[in-house]
Parts: sequence; structure tokens; C-alpha cells
Amino acid sequence: MRRGARNALLAVAIGAVGVAVGMHMPSVSSQSQAYQPPRTADGKPDLNGIWQALNTANYDIEAHAARPAMALIPAPARSGIPGLTRATPVDLPAEPVRSLGAVGGVPAGESVVEGGEIPYQPWAAARKKENSEHWLERDPEIKCFMPGVPRATYMPYPFQILQGTSKILIAYEFAGTTRTIHLDEVGDSPSETWMGWSRGRWDGDTLVVDVNSFNDQTWFDRAGNFHSEALHVVERYTRISPDHLMYEATIEDPKVFTRPWKIRMPLYRRLEEGKRILEYKCVEFVEQLMYGHLGVIDPATGRPNP
Amino acid sequence: MKARYLAAGAALVLLVAVMVVATGSLPSRTVATNGGGPRTPWGDPDLQGVWRYEAAIALERPAEFKGREFLTDEEVAARARVEEEQASSRLAGLEGAAVGRRSVAESPIRGNEYNSFWQDHGRPRKIYKQTSLIVDPRDGQIPFTPEAEKADARAAARYGVGPFESYLDPDTGERCLTDGVTALMWQGPNGGHNRIVQSPGFVTILHEEYRDRRIIPLEGRPHGNIRQWFGDAVGRWEGETLVVETTNFIDRTNYEWANLWTRPSPTLRLVERFTRSGADVIDYRITVEDPATFARPWTAEIPISRLPDDTQIYEYACHEGNYAMANLLAGARADAAKAKPAAK
Repeated sequence: MRRGARNALLAVAIGAVGVAVGMHMPSVSSQSQAYQPPRTADGKPDLNGIWQALNTANYDIEAHAARPAMALIPAPARSGIPGLTRATPVDLPAEPVRSLGAVGGVPAGESVVEGGEIPYQPWAAARKKENSEHWLERDPEIKCFMPGVPRATYMPYPFQILQGTSKILIAYEFAGTTRTIHLDEVGDSPSETWMGWSRGRWDGDTLVVDVNSFNDQTWFDRAGNFHSEALHVVERYTRISPDHLMYEATIEDPKVFTRPWKIRMPLYRRLEEGKRILEYKCVEFVEQLMYGHLGVIDPATGRPNP
Repeated sequence: MKARYLAAGAALVLLVAVMVVATGSLPSRTVATNGGGPRTPWGDPDLQGVWRYEAAIALERPAEFKGREFLTDEEVAARARVEEEQASSRLAGLEGAAVGRRSVAESPIRGNEYNSFWQDHGRPRKIYKQTSLIVDPRDGQIPFTPEAEKADARAAARYGVGPFESYLDPDTGERCLTDGVTALMWQGPNGGHNRIVQSPGFVTILHEEYRDRRIIPLEGRPHGNIRQWFGDAVGRWEGETLVVETTNFIDRTNYEWANLWTRPSPTLRLVERFTRSGADVIDYRITVEDPATFARPWTAEIPISRLPDDTQIYEYACHEGNYAMANLLAGARADAAKAKPAAK
């Protein structure tokens, strides 16, 4: 609570007028009745294109005030030492991210969770808090690991829907990850996965994707929101205009949450002419972080490791 | 070549099981038209499905076939017989040489023998008359420049030996980056698995290993100007043939590559031709041009087989489970520490 109050104060103080993008959108059902999407040659709604979310959900899918950094240290207490009688009202950036300044700050954002809050079981709420306190060591995004579902949808990278006849691909830019959505009959996944095992079907003009066989390694955001390997996600992709998709995901995990819950957000078409999904092959970008200290020599310094 | 192979092991075992159960008949799931092969609903030739290289032709012509581009009919028959025998041995549950696996002594990679199960093909390999995949130059050899020849020999001597001073020393595959786009259609465990998915204006190729992906636009757009590991591919249909030209490769010639001839450089240019010559075969032809590595362009012709409809390719979480990297570097440090105390 105290931290919340401090963050609210900060938002005012630095004038970060949490641009209320808001969730004031008409319901999908009324919109989809109004909008008739273009169709593919076999008569299905045409979802082809390059899409991207435009929100702050990857920072935190729940409502959050702006804050100075993704990794924070608690505000130092008043020391009583002359010149240090005033404590900072906000937590401060942790050392590894301090030099990023305003570039490393977190913009405020509304919750994309229906009803506002994730219904964690008590133990899981504690674990989420612990995750957020150890964000730098624990967030799989930092290590360029596959982001999982639904997180891949609202990371700040575009993705392309490639609508084949019996398979639909979703090709994400981040980490070059691709999901194959099986519209035809397939067996169960032989093992657990990072990106899930996706089976799709059409519900009217909505593509419904049932995703299971997850591992427990992925997160929902940079705030430490997490799930277990019992995660089950049902996604709904609906065209609501020539350049918008509505994305909804129902999230179920009886080991972590008290009930199923939903997220919802619009996705925007990338309108640039000739827009392509480019490579973000980040394995190469994190090798120094993950392995630099392990070698005989650290390539960053050219010197032997201690 | 260590953990990265084990990552998909369970998936492949399953795949093999699926293929044994599946009958040889492939239900048609595409719109057939008069003249030519199957078509997509929007009228393009249909190449969709999971494909792999199932022949046993060496890329470069082995010395025993020097001066001969083709096997004789007798040689083809003899090889087909061996494949059939190995296939029935496999079904009978036999192991090792009986099913065509290399023995430990024959393994080409020191310390890598446990990976020999990757050489199990699951079903008989297809026999072709070609004695090398390379059809041009006529001698069937990669036309390396003298410098590249030296670099290739140096890389071969390092392979599995090191030194491994940092994460930059293992090859790009061991680093879970890629083995390069050049051999994507016919290399990888058991001949590589590629799923082709078509959508209007695009052909997408998903390669199971490293989850390599190529999204190839067909709209006649020009090449962009961003260099990438997989370059910048532009495709077009020439009748029944998909022609893909790829340029704008990134420079990673200073990395270690499992095969030097697959490394990208800014002067690399690939021209590929995919022609569905039968229900279950793509005649794949690739011309590779790169003055940084080759004295002249070279061309390979590779027959690629379609696998049964229910074949899947699976998630390849290589980097996510790359314990080999940490262990390799820890081992090298332990060796270095052992060597040091003498100097004290």
C-alpha cells in the first residue's frame, strides 16, 4: 500500500500523465456483428497481416503507475545525517539499470485483466511479489527465452499471421519464435513446451485457439506474473475493423489461480508499405550476460576471468 | 552438437513411431486441377506439408566415384537392398550396424558417439543415381577459394577439440544460433524437417532445428537493405516452380560454423528452385554464390520427400536448454586451472 501511494505521488511529481488509453471499447460481439471482415479464398475471415499490440502489458498486465526503472531498490531511509535528512519518496533504480535514466523507466498503464486483478492463490501472490523483486535474475525475456502465450502477443515487437489451409502460423519477431496453429486433427503434444500446443477452430468469424502443454518457465510480463505447467489458454482473434483485431485470452491454471481470468486488448495492423518481420535473433545478444563470466576469457574485457 | 540434439530427441522418437504406423498412402488434402500438381485455394502450386531429405547422397562426390556422375543400375539395386534389410532389422528391434548406424569406432566426431541415434532414418532411405548433390562444377566438389580451403581445414581440426576460451569458440549450432540457411532444406537430424505453409503472397518455411524460419514474400517487392542472418528472400512463381533469390546476408564469417560453406557473408547470394515433380517429391535446386568463400558459383540438386500428413515438427528449445555451453566453458576453465599451478 505504501509503495502504491509513493508511486502515485511519483506519477504526479514527474508529470507522467498516465495517458489513459483505456479499455473503453465496445464489446466484440456488437462490433463483429457490425464489421464484415474480408474473406480468404476458402471463405474464412482473413487474419493475414502484420499486427502489434500498443500498450504497456509487457511491463505489467495489471494496472501500474509509472516508476523509475524495471529493477528498483527500496527508497533509503532518512539517515538523520546533516544533508540527508530528507528520504526519497520513491524507490530508486537498481544499480545494473541506473545509467539508463529515463530510457529505463516504466510507463504507466491500465490493467488488461478483466476486473483489474489476477486472482492468485495466496502462496502464488507471494511468489509473484518475490518474482518482481528478483526481476533481473528471473524474467525469461532477459535471457532471450521463448516468451510463451499470451505474452508473445503483447511484447513490443510485431508478429505476422500467415493463414494457410490446414495450419495458421503466427510468426513473432522476438526470438524468431513461431507457433503452428493446427486447424486439422492432431494428436496431443508429446512433451511440455514454451509456446504451447495450439489447436484452432472457427467460432463464427472468430479464430479460437486452444493452447496447452506448457512448461512452468514463462511469465506474463516483466512484473513477475507467472503460471504453472497446468496453464491452459484459450485465445480469441476477431477482426473488428480493416486494421484492428480484438485479442482475448482466457487463462486457467488451478495450481496458481483461484478461478479462470481474462485479458483483452486490440491489436493494430502495421500499415507501413512492404512491412516485414525482421530478425531479432537475441541469443547472440545475451551470450555475454549468460556466459561471459564462465569462459577462460571474457570477450567483453578480453581478460581472463577471475 | 550435444545438448541441442538431445532437446528434440523425444520428439523425434515419437515422429519415427508415427511414421512406422502410418501407411504409405497420403490422403490428398489439396485442390487438384487439370494440368500440373495440386493448387492452393488461391491458385498457387501447393507445396504445403512436412518435407525432409531422405536420400543418402554425399554433398561432395566421394573419391570412389571420381569421374562418375551416376551410379550404375546394379549399384542402385545393391544399395536399395541394403536399405530394405536395414529397415527390416530396425522393425525387428536390432541396433547398430544392422540398422545402418555408425559404430563408436566409425563416428566422425570424437566424443560424440552417443549422438549416433540421430543417424537413424526411421524408414528406408531413397536411392538415387546421383553420386553427389553438387552437380556443378562437374567434379562434384565445393569450389572453395584457397583461403576458404585453409579456413575449412582449420575449422575441421578444431571441431570437438577447441580451444573453448569463451562462448565465441563453439560453432554457431552449439551456440543455438543456426547452422545457416544454405543447407536448410536437407540438413539437420535425420535429414532435417521443414514445414512449408503457404498463404496468399507468402511461402513460409519452418525448419525444426533451431526453429529457423524463412518468410518469403511473393509480391515482387524489391530486396530491402537490412542485412540479416537469413538474408532477405524474394520469391516468385515461374510456372510450377517457386524461385527464391536471397541476398543481404549479415557478415558472420568470423564465427565458427559446423560447415564453413553455410556461413553467411555480405557477398553471399542464393538462388533456389522448388519444383514439385511428384505427389511426394520436390526437386530442389540451389545455386550458391559468394566470392568471399567460393572461387565460382556452385549448384546442388536435392530430392526432398514429403512425409505423411500427420507428421509434425516440434518446438526446438535449444538456447533455453543449452547446458552444454556452461559445461563446455566450465570444463575448459578446469583444464586451464589444472595447467596453471605448475607456474606458481
